[in-house]
Amino acid sequence: MVYYNTNTEKIYLTAAGLEKFKKEHKELRDIRNSESIPKEELIRMHRRMEELELIFKKYEFIKAPPKDRQGIISLGATVVVEINGQIDEFTIVGTLEAEPSKNKISDKSPVGQVLLGKKEGEMVEIKTPIINHKCRIIKINYQNE
Amino acid sequence: MSSIKKFKINLESLSSRERLIFKKLIRAAELIAGLYLKQKNRRYPGANFYPPMVNPEEIKKAARNNPAILNPYTFVERTKSGELKAVPYHIKFKKELKPISELLKGAADLSEDKNFSLYLRSRAKSLLDGSYEKSEIIWLKTGLSKFGFVIGPIERYLDKLFFIKCVYQSWVGVLDEEETKKAEEFRNIILTGRSKILDKAEKVDVSKIGIRIDKTAIFSGLIADCMFTGTNLPNDVGVMKKYGSNLTIFETSLKEKFDQDHFPIFQAVFDKKLQKRYSQEKLYEGSLRCIISHELAHSLIRYRDAEKRLQNLFPIFDELYAYILGIQRCGLALLKGAFNQKELEAILIMHICRNFTWWLDSLKNADVYHYATGAAIASNFFLQEKAIKIRGGISWPNFTKLFICIEELCKILDYYLAAGKYEEAEMFVKNYGSFDIFKYFSPQLKKFINRTKPA
Repeated sequence: MVYYNTNTEKIYLTAAGLEKFKKEHKELRDIRNSESIPKEELIRMHRRMEELELIFKKYEFIKAPPKDRQGIISLGATVVVEINGQIDEFTIVGTLEAEPSKNKISDKSPVGQVLLGKKEGEMVEIKTPIINHKCRIIKINYQNE
Repeated sequence: MSSIKKFKINLESLSSRERLIFKKLIRAAELIAGLYLKQKNRRYPGANFYPPMVNPEEIKKAARNNPAILNPYTFVERTKSGELKAVPYHIKFKKELKPISELLKGAADLSEDKNFSLYLRSRAKSLLDGSYEKSEIIWLKTGLSKFGFVIGPIERYLDKLFFIKCVYQSWVGVLDEEETKKAEEFRNIILTGRSKILDKAEKVDVSKIGIRIDKTAIFSGLIADCMFTGTNLPNDVGVMKKYGSNLTIFETSLKEKFDQDHFPIFQAVFDKKLQKRYSQEKLYEGSLRCIISHELAHSLIRYRDAEKRLQNLFPIFDELYAYILGIQRCGLALLKGAFNQKELEAILIMHICRNFTWWLDSLKNADVYHYATGAAIASNFFLQEKAIKIRGGISWPNFTKLFICIEELCKILDYYLAAGKYEEAEMFVKNYGSFDIFKYFSPQLKKFINRTKPA
């Protein structure tokens, strides 16, 4: 997983992401108030609640760019790409919302880092110390409000 | 070999009713081993499925007039007049199968899980009348039932003549809910995207691939002899395409394999400095990911005519490709940030250790020869491309080159399974399948080799 510094960086979230964190915060608060919880678990819960509160202070919504900039990949873009012969589709989100099992890929992941700022039809290289793959950007989509 | 392997598992999570079901399933599993032993015969490539020393051409000729001869669930016997006839398993073993079927019905009466109960009844019936496919379809609906239970003629590895006849086996396990949840997430990561290279393969609906991690209590029949760590059923391409597949990881078997083979082999064959970079825990995780991605990959490489075309060579290519494609998919997951580089390295290291394990297993059990041959092909390929260097052991694997090899092997193996002719596949095995590569490591693996010799 990619480390995310909540103290110094802006926190980019989708509306759904914010909703999810708010729900988690409420659940933690309810559990804390209603049940007798072991001390260690309580400390862990407090830490997580503080983390979430910091997110609530520092978040900025991911917005779809203006129509004339929607041919370029930025946060929130859903992209169809061909990586090493495999067609894949995923959405680029902030690290806190990343869930690769649900096709939400972090902007800090090797793919995310390379794709940000690139255009439809471009061929890019994704390099890690072990893997080096060519990636063709087939389609870029934004969920417009 | 008794062909029964038992594992100690904690049964605290089972209710008293579930414990009664468990007992019946274990007993049924124990009984099926007797039938497996009657099928097994290592003196002949056709085991006991065909008359000893029979000419394969005679079998093919007889099958043209009587397709039951090459049915997966029949014995082929010679009549007094010298002709070949087919005897269905359920008729030949009618007496032995009756009490097994009764145990299953008894367990079904006790079960409060509707789908599981339905499956047990259907399986009980199929053992007596040969309607296996129907009960396999019902089994696919059992999904995350408390018990993982399979019984009947399933795998084909003993039929080295045609790779058609199925052997009896069974396992009983209890679902590990926590590990299953993690495995489901891993499945979703590995199976995203559509591979272009697999155009000729059967299209797979990923949502139909179930996965469960079981604390297995017993292996019986072939699976006990081979000590598998995971499986993906059904084997029939048509059934899988229409109804999906269920993948089971045998946690207790994997832990035993890791503790006794994978990890000690890692310590024996890899450079000491490299060993310090990976904790035992991370390597276990690597081994688990290796087997899950392997079983998942099986669902992606179903080619309708591959078995017919490659015959006895099919399992070599099928099993090896599933390992290699599984690892390739893990590489794509790394790019998406699903795990880090060290975790991918652990998967690659465990793949190399598994290759040694298959060779060592083949020294005591010829039935895993196809796995060992696949392991030799991969290892020779890695050595040829200098992805591994041997200097008194594996000095340091070149992970970048290893991954290039994985990509290259994917293309090669895909070709053989999709369109390769028998003769060219045979040549490939001849060129890369030499076990000599493992023999270089004999000094380091002495204690493992000694373990394979009869006491």
